Amino acid sequence: MSMKKAQRPYLLELSLIILAVIVALPIYYLLVTTLKTPEEAAASPLGLPHHWTFGNYAEAWNMMRYPRVFTNNFIITFFSLIGCTLLPCMAAYGFARSRSLIGKLLFVAVIAGLVVPFQIALIPLYKLISTLHLMNTLWAVIIVNISVTIPFNVFLFINFVKSLPLEVEESASIDGSGVIGTFFRIVLPLMQPVVASAAILNSLTFWNDFMGPLLFLQTRDKAVILQEVYRNIGQFSTNWTAFFPMMVLGVAPLLIFYIIMQKYIIKGIAAGSVKG
Amino acid sequence: MTRKREFAFLLLIVPALLFYFIFYLYPVISTFAHSFTDWSLLQRSIHFIGLDNYRQLFNDDVVLTGIKNSIVYAVIMTIVQNALAVPLAVALDKNLRSKNVLRMVFFAPAVLSPLVVGFLWSYIMSSLDYGPLNQMLSHLGLGSVNWLGEPKLALYSVILTQVWQWTGWAMVIYLANLQGISKELFEAAHIDGANGWKTFWNITLPLLVPSITINTVLSMIGGLKVFDIIFSMTSGGPGHATESIVTVLLQRAFTDSQLGYASALGVLFSLFVMVVTLLQLRLMKRWEVS
Amino acid sequence: MKKIVTVFLSLLMLSSLVLSGCGKSDDTGSNKNSEGGSQSEKKVKIRIMGYNKEETRRSYLDYLKEKLPNVDIEFQFVDLKSFENMLRTQLAAGEGPDIFETSGSGAVYANAGYVEDLTDASFTSKYNDTGLMRYQSKVYTIPLQSWFEGIWYNKDIFEKYGLTPPKTWDEWMDIHDKLRQEGIKPQAMGAKSWEPMMKQSMGMLLNEFYSKPENKDFDTAFSDGTKAVSGQWNDAVTKWTETIQKGNITKDMLGVDYDQAQDEFATGKAAMWESGPWAAEALKQKNPNLNMGMFPIPGLTAGTGWLIGGPGSAFAVNKQSKHKDVAMQIMELTATQEAQQALIKDNFGSSFLKGVEVELPSEYADSAAAFKEGHVYAPWITWPFGAIAEDYGKALQEVLTGAKKVDEALQVLDNKAEQQRKSLKGN
Repeated sequence: MSMKKAQRPYLLELSLIILAVIVALPIYYLLVTTLKTPEEAAASPLGLPHHWTFGNYAEAWNMMRYPRVFTNNFIITFFSLIGCTLLPCMAAYGFARSRSLIGKLLFVAVIAGLVVPFQIALIPLYKLISTLHLMNTLWAVIIVNISVTIPFNVFLFINFVKSLPLEVEESASIDGSGVIGTFFRIVLPLMQPVVASAAILNSLTFWNDFMGPLLFLQTRDKAVILQEVYRNIGQFSTNWTAFFPMMVLGVAPLLIFYIIMQKYIIKGIAAGSVKG
Repeated sequence: MTRKREFAFLLLIVPALLFYFIFYLYPVISTFAHSFTDWSLLQRSIHFIGLDNYRQLFNDDVVLTGIKNSIVYAVIMTIVQNALAVPLAVALDKNLRSKNVLRMVFFAPAVLSPLVVGFLWSYIMSSLDYGPLNQMLSHLGLGSVNWLGEPKLALYSVILTQVWQWTGWAMVIYLANLQGISKELFEAAHIDGANGWKTFWNITLPLLVPSITINTVLSMIGGLKVFDIIFSMTSGGPGHATESIVTVLLQRAFTDSQLGYASALGVLFSLFVMVVTLLQLRLMKRWEVS
Repeated sequence: MKKIVTVFLSLLMLSSLVLSGCGKSDDTGSNKNSEGGSQSEKKVKIRIMGYNKEETRRSYLDYLKEKLPNVDIEFQFVDLKSFENMLRTQLAAGEGPDIFETSGSGAVYANAGYVEDLTDASFTSKYNDTGLMRYQSKVYTIPLQSWFEGIWYNKDIFEKYGLTPPKTWDEWMDIHDKLRQEGIKPQAMGAKSWEPMMKQSMGMLLNEFYSKPENKDFDTAFSDGTKAVSGQWNDAVTKWTETIQKGNITKDMLGVDYDQAQDEFATGKAAMWESGPWAAEALKQKNPNLNMGMFPIPGLTAGTGWLIGGPGSAFAVNKQSKHKDVAMQIMELTATQEAQQALIKDNFGSSFLKGVEVELPSEYADSAAAFKEGHVYAPWITWPFGAIAEDYGKALQEVLTGAKKVDEALQVLDNKAEQQRKSLKGN
C-alpha cells in the first residue's frame, strides 16, 4: 500500500519533467541561436554550437547602448509601479467604504475602462501629452502607464479591501484618527499582499510595453530596450546573429529577476488573489 | 461626522480619478464622440453623419472576420489555458522533489515581451526547412506543417504560442489559491476513502472557484482585445485570416484614415466586451453559490 | 447590469455633446513660435522620421551633420508596419516630425493640410520634372534617390545550369521549371507580407497593360474615379497567376518573412528573389561570396522588361514644424551633388537632381536596357490613396490560398478606392 503511494508521484514527476523540457525548448532555441553563426543556425537550429561565440553579445550590447536603455526602462517601470500602486490603493479604499451615490457612479466609470480597446484613443492622448509639454519625456510614458492600469488595479484591490475587518478601522476612528490617517497608518500596510501580486503583474506590463515608448519617446537617448531591439527588425536587412542576442538582452533582466524571486512571487500572489 | 468621513473617502479617490479621467477617459470619450462623424485623417473638416458608421460596420466583411477571430481566440484561450493550468497546479502542489524548478520553467514564458515572443515563434514556425518546429516534425517522420501560411491554421498557431506563454501564469494563480486551502481537508477526504479523482472533483475544484473566476474573466477580456501577438506574428494575414477586432480597428483608423468609422467599431466593441464580462461574472457567481 | 450599461451610455452621450464642439477648433499658429527665444544658444532639434533604416541613410545624415553643426538631427526609424499609425497619430495631434519620408505625391497629407507646399521653393526647380510628383498640380514632396525593384538572381547557379536572364515571361517560367527539376528552389518569397505578390503582379501589368499607349493615362483616370481596375486589369493579372499554378509561388511562402526569404537567397537555397538595391548590402554581409545580378520582370513578348519603382521615397516638410526654416535648410542641402551621392552610396538608385550622373554598378547590368527605356514604374504610388495597395496585396494572398478569384481581388481594390475617393472629397 505505502509502496504504491510512493511510486505514483515519480511517474507524475517524470511526465511533468518531459512537459517542462518541451515548454523550455523555445527559450533554449532563443539562447542557443545567439551563440551560433547564421549557417549553423540554419543547418541545425536546436543543436549545440560548435564553437561558442560570445562576441555577438558584446556587439549587441554596444549597438543597443544597453546601459542607457536599461536605465530608462528601469526608471519608467519603477515610477509607474509606485503610481499604479498608491493611487488605486487609495481609490479602492475610498470606493469600498463610500456609501454615497456619487462614489458608486464613479466606481462604475472607472471599471468601464476595463473593456475599452485603448489603442483607439491614441490621437487625443498624443495631443494631450504634447499640450502639456511632456513629449519625449519619460514622464509621458509613466503617466500613461499609471492611468491605463487604474481600472485593472482598482478592480483587483477593491475585493481585498472589502474582505478586511471593519473593527480595526472603527477602533482607530474612536481613537480620533481621521479617515486619511487610518488609511495610511492601518489599511495600507494591511494591503501589502495584494499590492505585491499586483506589482508583479504590472511590472511585466510596464517593462514589456512597446507602443507607449514608440509613440512618446522619439530620441534615442530616451529609448527603452524594446525600441532598440525594434530598430533592427523589419523590412530592410535583418542580421540574425545581431538580432537574437538583442532579443535575449531584451528579456534577460525580467527573466533573471523572476527566477531569483520565484518563491516570493507565488507567495505574493497567494496572499493577494485568494482572499478576493 | 459621517458626512465628513464620506467626504474623506471621496478625497482618497480624487488622485486616481484625476489621472484616469484626464489620461484615459477623456481620450477615449473624445474618440468615441467622433463615431457619429466622418472624421478622417484626409480631411480637416468634420461632419456629423448620425449612425452611418454603425450601419456600415455590418457590411464590412473584414470587421466580421475580426469579430469572429477575436471570439474564437478568446474562447479557446480561456478554455485551454485554464484546463491545462488547473491540473498543472494541482500536480505541482504535491510534494515533488523538483517542484521549484518545474514551477519556474512553466512560469518563465510569461515574463517575455509579446513582441519578442512573436518574433521568436515566427522563426520557430517558419515554413522553410530550417524552421525548428518543422525540422523536429520531419525527424519524427511527420510531414511539415504550414503553421502561419495556411489560412485555416494560422489563428490556431498563434493561439498555441499564447497557451505556451500564459498557462504558467494561470498556474501560479491556482497554486497560490491551493496553498491557501488547509491540508486537513484533503486528509479528511482521504480517510473517508475518496480517490484522487473524487477529491479533485468534490473538494479541490470548488475551492478553486475564486481563482477560476479571476483567471477566466481576465483571459476572456484580454483575449477579445488581442492585438500585439497577432501584429508581430502575422499582421492579420495571410489575407485577412488572422485579423482581430483591434487589428482591423487600427487598420481602419490609420491605414484607411477613417477615424470616425474606427471609433464606431471601438464603441460597439467596448459594449460587446462589457456584456460578455457581465454575463461571465454572473455565470461564475451562480457556480460559486452552488 | 442594465443599470451599468445605462450609466455608461449616458456618460458617453453627455461627453460627446460637450466634446464634439471642441474637436473642430483650429489650433495652428498659437504655439508656433513658443520656443523662439533661446534658439541661438541651444541646438535646434530636428526630427526626421523614415521607414528606411538609419544605415541606408548614414552617409547622408553624416553630411547634414557636417554642414549644420548647430542642428541636432534625430533620425527616427519606424518599421513600415507601424509607420502610418505613428505618423498619422502624430500629425493628427498637431505634432509630428519636422521632416518625414513618404512615397508618391503626399496627396493624403496635402489634402489634410499637414505638409508644406514646396512648389515655389528654391530647391524644387533643381530637380528634373520626371521626379516631382504633383497633387492638384502642386509639389509637396521632394524625391530622394530613385527606387526600383527587380528579380535578384544567383549568377553562379544560373551559370551552372546554363541559364541566362529571361527575355520573355515564358522563358522565365521555363527557368523556374528547370531549376525545380535540378532540385533547386527557383524563387524565394516572403509572402507573409502583402507586398511581394502585389509587386510581381504589377510587373505583369507594367509589361502588358501600362506599356500600351491607350492606357497611358489610366492611373489619372483611376484616381479620379472615371475608370476602375475591374475589366481593365483582369487579363494581365489572370495571366500572372500562371506562376501560382506552376507552383513557383506556393502557400508555404505565406508563412515566410521578408528576412527569412532573403536568407534563403543569400545562402544559395533559392536561385531568385525579388527585392531592391537596399538588400544588396545585407546579402553581401550574409554571404560575401554571393555572385548576384538583377533582371527586370519580363513580359509576354521579348523586350527590356520592367522594373517596379519610381521616385519612390521622398521627403515632405511638416507644416506645423516649429523649426520650418531649418527643415527647409535641410531640404536645400539635400538638393546638392554631395547629398545625392551620399544617399546613393548607401542605397543605390539614380538621382532626380539635375546634373547628377550615376554610374550603374555591375549587379544591375542586366537591367540597363530597361533603365534606358525608362521602364521603371509603380502605379499605386501615383494614386493619392496609395495605401490601398495593401488591400490588393492581401486579396492576392487570398487568391493564392484559393479563397478569392482574380476578379474578386480587383473588386476589393475598386471598392477601397471608391471609399477613399469619397473620403478625400469630404462627402
